Amino acid sequence: MPNLTLDPTNLTAQFEHRGRGNPPSVLPLSAISNCFPGLEFDFRNVWRRVLEGIVLHEAVGVVMDVDPGVPANITELRGAFLVSVDGDPTIGDVQGPRTTGGAVESLGQDFLEWSNALARILTHAGEEVRCEFQTQQNTTITRMLKVRRFFHADELTNNRTAAIGKDLATPGELTQSLCSPWQNDYRECGCYYWAASRPDYVNVETAGGVTSGHNWMARDRSAAAPRAYTLNNSLLFTYDELFQNWETLLKFQIDGRDET
Amino acid sequence: MFLPLSVLTEQQPRPGHLFPTELGWHVLVANGSRLYRVTEDFRDAWQEASNEKLREALLAEAGIGSITEERLLESPPPAVRALSLAVAQKCNLGCTYCYAEQGDFGRAPKNMPLEHALRAVDLLFLNIQPGESLSLSFLGGEPLLNRPVLQAAARHASGWALRTNAKLSLSVTTNGTLVVPEDGDFFEEHGFAVTVSLDGAGEAHDRQRPFRGGEGSYSRIVQRIEPLLRQQRRMQVSARMTVTPDSVQGVKESVDSLIALGFHTVGLSPMLSSPAGHGEMDPEALARLLGEMKECGRAFEAAVIRGTRYPFLNVMNAMKEIHRGTHRPHPCGAGGSYLGVSAEGKLFACHRFVDDPSAGFGSLESGVDTAQQQRWLRERHVEQQSPCKTCWARYLCGGGCHHEVIRRGRPSCDYIRGWLEYCLSAYVRIKTFQPGYFGATN
Ligand code: SF4
Repeated sequence: MPNLTLDPTNLTAQFEHRGRGNPPSVLPLSAISNCFPGLEFDFRNVWRRVLEGIVLHEAVGVVMDVDPGVPANITELRGAFLVSVDGDPTIGDVQGPRTTGGAVESLGQDFLEWSNALARILTHAGEEVRCEFQTQQNTTITRMLKVRRFFHADELTNNRTAAIGKDLATPGELTQSLCSPWQNDYRECGCYYWAASRPDYVNVETAGGVTSGHNWMARDRSAAAPRAYTLNNSLLFTYDELFQNWETLLKFQIDGRDET
Repeated sequence: MFLPLSVLTEQQPRPGHLFPTELGWHVLVANGSRLYRVTEDFRDAWQEASNEKLREALLAEAGIGSITEERLLESPPPAVRALSLAVAQKCNLGCTYCYAEQGDFGRAPKNMPLEHALRAVDLLFLNIQPGESLSLSFLGGEPLLNRPVLQAAARHASGWALRTNAKLSLSVTTNGTLVVPEDGDFFEEHGFAVTVSLDGAGEAHDRQRPFRGGEGSYSRIVQRIEPLLRQQRRMQVSARMTVTPDSVQGVKESVDSLIALGFHTVGLSPMLSSPAGHGEMDPEALARLLGEMKECGRAFEAAVIRGTRYPFLNVMNAMKEIHRGTHRPHPCGAGGSYLGVSAEGKLFACHRFVDDPSAGFGSLESGVDTAQQQRWLRERHVEQQSPCKTCWARYLCGGGCHHEVIRRGRPSCDYIRGWLEYCLSAYVRIKTFQPGYFGATN
């Protein structure tokens, strides 16, 4: 068999490179991991260590930990919320209707997604930027923190590549918060998120152009149960039930119906 | 295998270009400007493939798909973030080949009134977001013939940039004959990129760029520019050469002399289309120019390996773009995020199209004609151009300068591809022997 191994030389080639045998989802273009925990790696994790000295949560602006050996004025940031970086807020006012068709109103404050909120500061890589924190006691403190370089550079040659910098993630961190299809996330995430392999609307019957059926996660999907797609939590399996016994509770679907 | 007739007769898009270097065979994949070193097996298969479809399949087998492009054709026109102001549509030189026809674009000489210049700056900053980059350039004619308006517009723009936290680049292209020391102070204060049009050192320049009375302008320019060369800190003073068949011999020497004078960079471009056809490059002159440019390129490579400077702009830009994999569906921003403003306050595709109604984009008064922007970007897209859509260099070249192509066609493709192939192999060499050179560019 001919050897067709290509060695990516410039940055777009490195960025778009898919090793032979790897599926399309390993490429950032076709991966789903840029703002949700993906199925291949969780891109959100690259932001956790973008500010030297502290470790953020991958989705929420809370300081989970600090780097070993940092001074006390950094140690005290543990548990504080990061509210702005270099003048840009990391929290936004969420606007929208509270109910379907309702008026647009403020739905409260929420943390912005890191890739949107922090991308701009990468132009300050290697420099210190002003970071504002809110402590659990509701006081505001400001620290100057250095922005880490995003891309890996070879120390000897200063040759920068399209690989993510080693300081941004320790081994295992990029995949530590992946979806866990057989655990929480299988119940947690809406059906649209999943590939076709996760059943959703089952035991469906059609009459007069109208369908009726069961939610696959409904505890009672027997013939006697009312055929309506329910999202009522009390009628669905709990996480614990699924952890303990998913293989009996979630039946294979044969021709769109629970196996018998 | 039976192939439909259309496959045999119609030129198929080349998915890439295979080329040898001292460091092995490489392939440039057109889509995404991706560069790979390949194995001998791959090279053989590429060379044996009888058509481009098979090469595409070979790339796919090696794991290289395309990054689709169609979306760009449908995307809404970008905001205008670069403007050039023709502050003076007149000139004191009489260059033989000038696109502006001695500065006035073939019409009565005029200055841009202050009001238009300020309004153009306001247009540039319309709906600006903090951190955005913008560029404002002053061209003509000779922009220093309207110094007060140039300065007022630059100050107005700097004020805007400060208030909005935007990144502003200011630039001016001048013939250098009217520069006074105070200009140096002003350009330094505002961090201008100053480009001086110099077609060589001494006589070569004088032949092409005389004063209107016929006497040479070189010594006067150098005398006026030298203080700026010493003064440059925030400001960058570069030289730009226009090459004609008369000046092509000795281009390398000219580049050397201009670099020795202390210019920040020295760049060149061949004269491809002039209003009366004077000085246009023919295929033979282009082939000679390519030889001269490769020599400059080799001097650049040697300097990079030694860790010294040989700032030949054409090769420096190529290195940056190849390294990043710049994917360019248009040759430049003209008619998209870049427009040229005429002295009368009308908008055109770029500084070269000033007062050409076929490339009008509205006016300061009526605003940017976004429908025209959309039409222009769609029609001028490299995939819509022939023979570009089949050319391997299409996404590095972008299809060639609109102004030149519309006026004269595409006589320089062999030269463009020859230069790119040289640059690709120079990139591979520098990347191998001095990879740190690219540290600063990403
Ligand atoms: S102008 Fe010539 S070199 Fe450039 S893309 Fe078109 S055909 Fe290729």
